[in-house]
Order: sequence, then structure tokens, then C-alpha cells
Amino acid sequence: MIVEKIHTENMFLYYSGKMALNNISIQIPEKKVTAFIGPSGCGKSTFLRSLNRMNDLIDGVKIEGKVMIDSVNIYDKNIDVVNLRKKVGMVFQKSNPFAKSIYENIAYGPKINGINNKHQLDEIVETALKNAAIWDEVKDRLGDSALGLSGGQQQRLCIARTLAVNPEIVLMDEPASALDPLSTAKIEELIVQLKEHYTIVIVTHNMQQAARISDNTAFFYLGELIEYDKTRKIFTNPEKKQTEDYITGRFG
Amino acid sequence: MENYRIFDSELDKLAHKVKLMCSQVNHQVNDVILALNTNDLVLAKKVIANDEYINNLDVKIDKLCQKIFALQQPVASDLRYIISALKINNDLERIGDHAVSIAKRIEPLQEYEQLIQELGLELIGEKTKNIFSDVVELVNGHNLEFAEQITIKAQEIKEECREIASTMLTEMMHQSEIVVVAANILIIINLFERISGYSTNIAESISFVVNGEIIKHKK
Repeated sequence: MIVEKIHTENMFLYYSGKMALNNISIQIPEKKVTAFIGPSGCGKSTFLRSLNRMNDLIDGVKIEGKVMIDSVNIYDKNIDVVNLRKKVGMVFQKSNPFAKSIYENIAYGPKINGINNKHQLDEIVETALKNAAIWDEVKDRLGDSALGLSGGQQQRLCIARTLAVNPEIVLMDEPASALDPLSTAKIEELIVQLKEHYTIVIVTHNMQQAARISDNTAFFYLGELIEYDKTRKIFTNPEKKQTEDYITGRFG
Repeated sequence: MENYRIFDSELDKLAHKVKLMCSQVNHQVNDVILALNTNDLVLAKKVIANDEYINNLDVKIDKLCQKIFALQQPVASDLRYIISALKINNDLERIGDHAVSIAKRIEPLQEYEQLIQELGLELIGEKTKNIFSDVVELVNGHNLEFAEQITIKAQEIKEECREIASTMLTEMMHQSEIVVVAANILIIINLFERISGYSTNIAESISFVVNGEIIKHKK
């Protein structure tokens, strides 16, 4: 059965009065991979960031409409943003490990959340690294600096760091765009595995990547959600001409 | 929003080759029917010889589709077109083979012109030519009205072929001396029916290109 995890209703977002998202209404299912595609500046990353209120950090941002996660409007006044971001984790395009050991990178979040028991932290670190499919590569050097890892490993470490605080939703903004094909393949495989436990929303410019890993695809253009459907449908027989033109590369 | 892509030249090349294949197979079908109707063994031999050109074109289209799949990762209408081009190419090649099979059976039918006329084989031939001219129109213009016509006409041909086959079987029971020629006629009838069947496949493939819906096996 498909359970709705996120939904927005008539959502508008303005940067200093300029409309960046125009009336977005979408339902994102739980434990599925949902991909956002569209040309640069179409609003897909802005929309992704609005799902854990990352846009709050930007001056002049105004949001209208509803952004519901588990039927709660995350823009309500009484929402604790720190808790929200624990529940809705995020992985960025450029891997950004802390200049600390591999172990400390993962243990950092749980520690901030009050877990200090060494045994418990060890367990969290091991589980997170295993879930991010990097445990076997780093288990013998947990004390080494995370900055010594390869780009692909750093990105999986960042995914592990996100998983360590036990989120329900993982937002990913171009998580594999700076990686070589082999590392990209590992990240993609990982994303597909992660959907067993997490709701994944990914922004990608790589349309073949969206096609390979996502269950549903949303196409954004000029701040609007043009088409949202099963990925198979979008890539074989999209309804809208703009979607067709974009995915076939006829977009001028 | 339209934008020319390098990919478009590959698609144009593919469309050109598929249309060429269709037109070549159309010649084969027309020629073999004329050869059958007029007992023209020279024309029958020409049909047999021309098959090599069609086979070569079949391989070229296959290779071009492979290349596009591997290098361009087509999606949406491009994907549907290339999948269909592969299938249509395959169907056309088979129709070409059937034209050759008919051509090879014209010689044993010499001296049985009257029987052939009585059976209405010429009429089936005309209908097959007619259905195939619809196929050419459909492949060239993607006008689905022709697809509908093809499906209707194929059903008619199928029924008429079955009628002739049944008459033939009755005749065979009464006149054992015609068994050899009757067997050839039965095979030819079957080949005509197959040609109309492949024409229906092509109609379904073009419908898939245009609408994105798989309509085969739906009654």
C-alpha cells in the first residue's frame, strides 16, 4: 500500500518578492525514491530545500501554502526546526565531511542529540556505515581523517552521517554529480537499498540516473511542477510536451 | 522550444532506412502477386534475387538501432520510435521472405491457372497489395486511419484465406491428382495470411509510436 509521506498544497516561494515556486501541489509517497528533474533555475533544488526548511537560512524568502510531512505543516509556528531536520536529513552535491575522524563524523549527530554511551555510539556508527555501504571499506581505519577518503567514499560517509540521526526522509541534492561512474553506481545502488527504510527525494541533472533509481519523477520548469508521474511513464510516454522536449533534449 | 540535436540526424537516417525498407518490400509484394497472376517466372526469379538487398537493409537498420540505443539512450517518443523501428523492420523482412516463398511456388502451379482463378487467389493477391499500400502510407506518414484500415482488411483476408483453404481441402479429398498443387496453394494462402498478419503488427507498432499504448492482443 502506498502511504503518503510528504505533500504540498498550493505552495509558493518567493526570493525577495520574486516568485521561485509557483503553486506546487505534490504528494510524495513513503519509502519510495522520488526524483526532481528540470533545467537549472527551474526551482527543483529550492523546492527540495523547502522540505526541511533549509530556505529559512536565506534572507528574504517567503513561503505560502502548505508543506505537510506526516500530515503536519512544517511551517507552523510551533515546529522545532532542529527536530524537523533530524527527521528530514539532507545530502548535498559536494561531500562535506567534518575535518575529524571517520568515527567522529558519524558519532557527531548522535552525540549532539545526547547519546554519550560508547557502546551505543559504536553500534550507531557501525550500523550507519553499513547502511551507507561503506563499512567494509573503512572499518579498519575508523580513527583516520575523513578527508583522506575518496570523493565517492566521502559522499557515502555523508550519507552515513545523515542516517546516524535516524531520519525518516533523506533529501539528496545532486548527490552523485561530482563522482566518477563507479562511485556514482555505488551511490545509486545505495539509494535504491535505502528506500526500504527511508523516503528518498533526489534532485538530479542526470536524467538517466533519475530513470534508473526513482519510482516517481517530477519535472519542474520555470518554478512550476509541469508533470509528476511514475518514472516509467515519464520516460516512455510523458503527457506534457514540455516534459517530452526536456527529457529528449529538444529543449532550446 | 524546438532544438536541433545531433541525435536528430541519426533518427532521420533511421526513418529514411525504414521507409526505404517498406518501399522495397512493397515492390516485392506487388511483383510476386503479378508474377503469380501472370505465371511470370522471370519476375518470380527477380523477386527471389531482390531478397538479398532487403536482408542487407534489415541488418543495417538493426545495427543503426543498436547504435542509437547504445550511444543516445533514447527516451519518450524517441524510445518508442526506435523500439518500433526494430519491430517494423523485423516484420518487413519477414514479409519479404514470404514474398520469396510465394515466388518459389509459382513454377509448380503452371498449368493450373483455371483452378487458381476459380479459387479467387487473384482477389486475395489484390487485397494483399491493397493492405500493403496502406502499410506504406502508414509507415511514411504515421496516419493512424491507415492502421485501422489495415486491421479491418487483415481480418477480411484471414477469413477469405480460411475459406479457400477449406475448399482446397475438400477438393483434395475428391481429386488425389491435385494434392501436390493443392499443397502449394495452401502454403501460398497461408503466406498471404501471414503477410496481412505482419501488416497488422506494423499497424500496432505505429500506434505505439503515436499514442504510447500497446494495443496488440487487444480485441
